[in-house]
Amino acid sequence: MVEAWFGVLCLMITFFVVLDGWDIGAGMLHFLVAKNQDERRVLIAAVGPLWSWHEVWLVATGGVLFVAFPRVLSIAFPGYYLALFLVLWTLVLRGISLEFRGHIDDGMWRSFWDFVIVVSNTLLAVLFGAALGNVVRGMPLGPEAELSLPLFTHFGVEGSVGILDWYTVSVAVFTVVTLAAHGASYLTLKTTGDVHQRSRRLSGRLWLAVAVLLAVVTGMTAMVRPELFSGIAGRPPAWLTVAVVMGGAGAIGTGLRSGQEARVFLGGIAFIAGLLATAAVSLFPVILHSTMDARNSITAYNGSADPSSLRAAAWWWPAAFVLSFFYFRFIGKHYRGRVEVSKDSQQPY
Amino acid sequence: MTGDPALWHRLQFAFTIVYHYLFPQLTMGIAWFLVFWKYLHWRSGRAEYGAAARLWARIFGVNFAVGVVTGIPMEFQFGTNWSAFSKYSGSVIGQSLAMEGMFAFFLESAFIGALVWGEKRLGPRNHFLAALGVALGSWTSGFFIIVTNAFMQHPAGYAVAADGSLKIGSMAEYLLNPWALVQFGHNQAAALVTGSFAIAAVGAFYLLRKEHTEQGRLYLNWGSAIGLAAALLVAFPTGDAQAKLVAHHQPAALAAMEGRFETGPMADITLIGQPNVKMRRLDNPIRIPGMLSFLAFGTFHSNVQGLGAFPEDTWPTNIELLYYSFHVMAGLGTIFIALMGLANLLRWRGLLEKARPLLWVIMLAFPFPFIANTAGWMTAELGRQPWLIYGLYRTSEGYSKAVSSGDVLFTLIGFTGLYFVVGLLYLYLVGREVMHGPPAVEVH
Repeated sequence: MVEAWFGVLCLMITFFVVLDGWDIGAGMLHFLVAKNQDERRVLIAAVGPLWSWHEVWLVATGGVLFVAFPRVLSIAFPGYYLALFLVLWTLVLRGISLEFRGHIDDGMWRSFWDFVIVVSNTLLAVLFGAALGNVVRGMPLGPEAELSLPLFTHFGVEGSVGILDWYTVSVAVFTVVTLAAHGASYLTLKTTGDVHQRSRRLSGRLWLAVAVLLAVVTGMTAMVRPELFSGIAGRPPAWLTVAVVMGGAGAIGTGLRSGQEARVFLGGIAFIAGLLATAAVSLFPVILHSTMDARNSITAYNGSADPSSLRAAAWWWPAAFVLSFFYFRFIGKHYRGRVEVSKDSQQPY
Repeated sequence: MTGDPALWHRLQFAFTIVYHYLFPQLTMGIAWFLVFWKYLHWRSGRAEYGAAARLWARIFGVNFAVGVVTGIPMEFQFGTNWSAFSKYSGSVIGQSLAMEGMFAFFLESAFIGALVWGEKRLGPRNHFLAALGVALGSWTSGFFIIVTNAFMQHPAGYAVAADGSLKIGSMAEYLLNPWALVQFGHNQAAALVTGSFAIAAVGAFYLLRKEHTEQGRLYLNWGSAIGLAAALLVAFPTGDAQAKLVAHHQPAALAAMEGRFETGPMADITLIGQPNVKMRRLDNPIRIPGMLSFLAFGTFHSNVQGLGAFPEDTWPTNIELLYYSFHVMAGLGTIFIALMGLANLLRWRGLLEKARPLLWVIMLAFPFPFIANTAGWMTAELGRQPWLIYGLYRTSEGYSKAVSSGDVLFTLIGFTGLYFVVGLLYLYLVGREVMHGPPAVEVH
């Protein structure tokens, strides 16, 4: 049962990163892809109807963490107190920038919110990337499971680490570039004309950069957590997830060469989902890894809720998850195809 | 920082939840107006319903966005600021909080984009369905939050695990907690009051300005009719049932709400008076004799316990604020019934649109349901003190010991600044929508 809930948690995080990842990526590329007000309206229209539906996967992930692993929540959230509030405030700015921009037809009003869109989405990618880096690297958990991290300490990855060090910053950079590439392939699929051309060009370059950075970050991870790599041979599910990453990368490569935009986009989804799944499979059962002493680590087993509560949640969670596919279908049906600004934006007065 | 660290955590949660709930109450209140207007527009094709839905969907969109972005911090603060409480009760209250995300938010947020952005893509039928999805989602969300709060007010369906924390005993008892059902009815009726008053206020505004008069008439008629029904439902049966639950299960809270220190039959209801906790009495009280005994327990001779009957360490921690919150809520609720009763009487005689002074009152009345809703929630939450989970777990045990008071004060100030700016932008944008009036263009 605990294993299943660990899987559910990772599945929800993956849905969030894949879905909201393209909104964040498109937001980061706002100025690079769209050069004037009309083009920027196209970008807003491409993510406007979707962002709250995507962001809500983060909220639901928080809910699943709460019900299935309350001990993990109660250690990690106070430990990362200020960083989490930075995420929350940035989410506030990202949300209102997308919704408020279209309400007034004024150049300066819109330029201001365009700027907020770029800054908030970039910051979100950095923060989520650093968060992933922290999960992989671990955190300075003491024997009493007490945790409180400064922003940075000695920039090293062992002992009393801070939130930022050379490894977590590298993962953040990798995340920024990967989500930007994902956003570019989404925009390639959704737009026409100049915006489409620029997105397409950027998507090729960014995915190339991702390939280079992936090699670098993988090497770094092998230095920081060598035991994760030596353990992969004994974990067959990891072979599968690595295969998904490689399949995704292959689809991106061939898609870019042959100009099949949907293949690049789907390949990107497989690539990102595969990477997250690989991380999850390698880390299992540890959720909060201690850099001080591995015996202090919080695992899915000692961090989970009471079995009766996990069983109770196992009754309703699958139903809710299946229902979500009806919403996917509704959205997919009505927002298929390329953006038409006249149909997909909020008209100002 | 000196002083009680729990205070800063409480203050931050209180500030962010009060601010947040200004938006969902309007969302939940106007959602069903949108559903009915979209339905009538779809079935009858009459342009006025389409225009009404279009204006209110635009306001709804701005309102919803602020509601979403201020709501996410609420869920995360259980972990950041109340980690001991989360660890103790996460297996139970995590159920309803996760269900809110999976059942309500998914539904709501999947369709809000379609409602706000998609009228031209969807056509009348699917756009109506989008409005329906959003309305159902927002009310479902309200239900799960109330289930969570009801557990804190009146724990049901739990058991104690081997390590002393709580676990689910019976999911059905937890979700169908009688406290939750009553509180949900009371709260949703109150949200409808907020929505109806806002719609009636815009209607009165248009009629007073003599512009968009046809739309103004529509808003005024719908807003005042539903406003009266909702205001009545808030008082009876839901408010009455809620008060009886408090009387039975939180007698110390009832005593503090009424500023009552002495125990005995023929308990009075206080209309005016200030609690003087030090002297254990009410200053300059004006009372209706026996009314509290009757309302709480059904007969004038029922015994009502005063605060003196309870040990002081189980008294609500802020008796004055609790007393004023309750009286503000109950007083405003009574005024709402009177105002909407009068409006409907004149409407029935065909005089409402000409009664300009009353239109002024209706226009200026829209902030007061927000105040009444806030005061009602403050009554519920202050009355629950000193418990985080009534009778089981004290508020002083629940906050995050690892987070310093200085950090909490910092994030509290951060929220204050950010929310102030968001509030200004919100008022500006919604004001602009109202000034502009409903979009005239019919698009298909």
